[in-house]
Amino acid sequence: AIVIIVLKVVDKFRQLFKIPPLPYLEDTWWGPRNKSEEDESIKPFTINVSDEIINDLHQRLNNARPFTPPLEGIQHQYGLNTKLLTEIVEFWRTKYNWREREIFLNKFPQFTISVQGLRLHYIHVKPIDPDGLRVLPLLLLHGWPGSVREFYEILPFLTNPQPGYNFVFEVIAPSLPGYGFSEAAVRPGLGAVQMAVVFKNLMDKLGFKKYYIQGGDWGGVIVQNMATIFPEQVLGLHSNMCFIRTLSSNIKLFLYSFWPTLLLPREHADKVYPLSSKFANTILESGYLHLQATKPDTVGVALNDSPVGLAAYILEKFITWTNSDWKNLEDGGLMKKYTYTDLLDNVMIYWVTNSITTSMRLYSETFNKAQTALGITK
Amino acid sequence: MGVVVKLFIVIITVLISWIGYKVNNIIKPPPLPRLEETWWGNGDPWRTDKSIRPFRVNISDKILEDLNYRLDHARPFTPPLEGIQQQYGMNTKLLKEIADFWRNKYNWKEREKFFNQYPHYLTSIQGLDIHFIHVKPKSIHHRVLPLLLLHGWPGSVREFYELIPLLTTPQKDRNFVFEVIIPSLPGYGFSQAAVRPGLGAAQMAVVFKNLMKRLGFEKYYIQGGDFGAIILHHLAVLFPEVVLGFHSNMCAIYTPLSYMKTALGIIYPTWFTREDHTERVYPVTKILVDRLRETGYLHIQATKPDTIGVSLNDSPLGLAAYILEKFTTGTNISYQNHEDGGLKNVYDYSDLLDNVMLYWVTGSMPTAMRLYSETFNLNHMSLGITRIPIQVPSGCIRFSNDFYSSDGILNEIYPNLLHLTDHEGGHFAAFQLPKVFAADIFTAVGKFEEFNANNKH
Repeated sequence: AIVIIVLKVVDKFRQLFKIPPLPYLEDTWWGPRNKSEEDESIKPFTINVSDEIINDLHQRLNNARPFTPPLEGIQHQYGLNTKLLTEIVEFWRTKYNWREREIFLNKFPQFTISVQGLRLHYIHVKPIDPDGLRVLPLLLLHGWPGSVREFYEILPFLTNPQPGYNFVFEVIAPSLPGYGFSEAAVRPGLGAVQMAVVFKNLMDKLGFKKYYIQGGDWGGVIVQNMATIFPEQVLGLHSNMCFIRTLSSNIKLFLYSFWPTLLLPREHADKVYPLSSKFANTILESGYLHLQATKPDTVGVALNDSPVGLAAYILEKFITWTNSDWKNLEDGGLMKKYTYTDLLDNVMIYWVTNSITTSMRLYSETFNKAQTALGITK
Repeated sequence: MGVVVKLFIVIITVLISWIGYKVNNIIKPPPLPRLEETWWGNGDPWRTDKSIRPFRVNISDKILEDLNYRLDHARPFTPPLEGIQQQYGMNTKLLKEIADFWRNKYNWKEREKFFNQYPHYLTSIQGLDIHFIHVKPKSIHHRVLPLLLLHGWPGSVREFYELIPLLTTPQKDRNFVFEVIIPSLPGYGFSQAAVRPGLGAAQMAVVFKNLMKRLGFEKYYIQGGDFGAIILHHLAVLFPEVVLGFHSNMCAIYTPLSYMKTALGIIYPTWFTREDHTERVYPVTKILVDRLRETGYLHIQATKPDTIGVSLNDSPLGLAAYILEKFTTGTNISYQNHEDGGLKNVYDYSDLLDNVMLYWVTGSMPTAMRLYSETFNLNHMSLGITRIPIQVPSGCIRFSNDFYSSDGILNEIYPNLLHLTDHEGGHFAAFQLPKVFAADIFTAVGKFEEFNANNKH
């Protein structure tokens, strides 16, 4: 009997650590139209927001309800400081010029194409003068609360020859489904795993069989999924958010807390330990995640109806996630690394497309039992 | 016995004693802290008007016109996903119905008259103008017992309107009746908000102790749910000498011992929990997941209230969605499977919007949400007041869809529990079931009165 119990325990243990098999993933039809009606052509796309939307925005900025002042002695510890927000809104109202920004945003060739029933927006930049260099296709994926705007400064570097390299990139930078100018799913289920399928199909339709992939935030998660599910397509993965969360990584994390330098070099130990303060910080910064993973449709109403509210919600992340010390600066430190214009470009992409709610649904579609049970991130 | 065995016994005994000592330190209630009487406002403490001033709800046309404009120009709603009711949050088909009602049927001027049917007042406590309703019973043949009623989030004094006549009118077979004092919490509705950090639940208890003192009450009964219950727990612990009895519709326990008991109960669920209630506690994983699904708002409000507050105070429909979502799942968790959120079964849209309006016309949602960050932080929680037992007579009513504490766990914090009822109903019980609620308060206070009479020193 003891032998049976021991064998059972060992077996259970093995099951917990076993890498699950790759699940079968369908090419679900995510869009509103019938398959037979779907226009499969690639269409050039230009951002051209109606005057109505821009006038409405200005009306709302001009008539924003009075902000609640921050508590005495507080900078951004309770969230976005409304003194900073006042400054940003004033800039938005009086200096930010959308029509000029539209010209800027349209500087790269943009297209839309239908993938699994969704008309997806993407930027497609080919190197102008490869001049004998190898041209490598590169899929760039953004995250939340980002957008294709995050890549505008690096696109010229990627698509122009760099000294010392015999290759250059042809870049495809889509808007995630439900973000910006990409259509959103009409039925539930489009989580980060299913998005990997969508982007593999996107690249396939554009004629790319093998390509490099890069992502951060949700983009990092999705490229990780793509590399797991479609390794034959992926020549290489570059991520600025290599995220590991498995049972054995958790156990290791805990065990090594007793002797961190066995796991990491001394100078990196404080990026991981002490676990308690890292955990406390995670709790402090993940309220948005908890809310979006459970009630995106609730909070989406206010964020899509109030541009100042949307700006507060998004820009708070640009403060704390760029440098967590910036929370203690009354101006949030933003001007050290960004201009308000660039930051507002990103906010505008969410505003003019009414896409904040559908963008947040990616959280609830991914952080649920069904998606976790697929086990792809293991 | 050999030396080795004796040594072994000694070591084991020392180890067990050490563990017992550590556990006891975790379990035993912390010492009672002393709280300062902080000045929360801007005025000069030496020159503040301490009078009690009558107040009428009288919202300017400007605010009402602005509201109508926003309702008329609401940005398009994102449709719910196919086959989804309220599982992703507020279903915008329901919201459209509410928006139409709000714009076309809801009449604020009429509602203002409704609000003003009871006398309202303001008085300055610790630098903040505190708004309250004060209703005295008409009868002079009964003993009049003062009763402090505290609302929570996202509630307001409005939740008690149907209760007021029931509490202040003599009941058959009762020789007492209530005089009710119903304040708006600081930062909520017509009560001013603190200008400096630190006004958490414990500090609010101090404010209300001072409010009742200002009104001339030496001893009184207290009743609350949601944050109201949390604040009154603090009041009963900090100032037991003023509390004749405490009735709560959210007797929640947050002590290490209670967690240990719940964990032990995994082995044998009826150890601490009534057999017919075990599904409200076990399996623990299911209860935790359910709780996790409904507490996103708590997490963001406890950490970034000022961020989320901007949009909720700028978009009336955004505010309504956020608040009314709580009235769906808070009243009955199964309402998340109803496209209309089940609201029409239980409430009138008018009544629900009265409550939303109190947040909108006063612009108080951002300051209201700060109560979460001021309470759920290390500083406030290390006061440990919710781990100190309540010695005054207490009574709990547990509504079927509200937070639940097992019978075997209640006694740690409510050692003097004289009254315990269970009833069908949700988190906003005074609103949903005023008759049941009032009856339970009368019953509980009847027992408190008897106890107090028998225990006079």
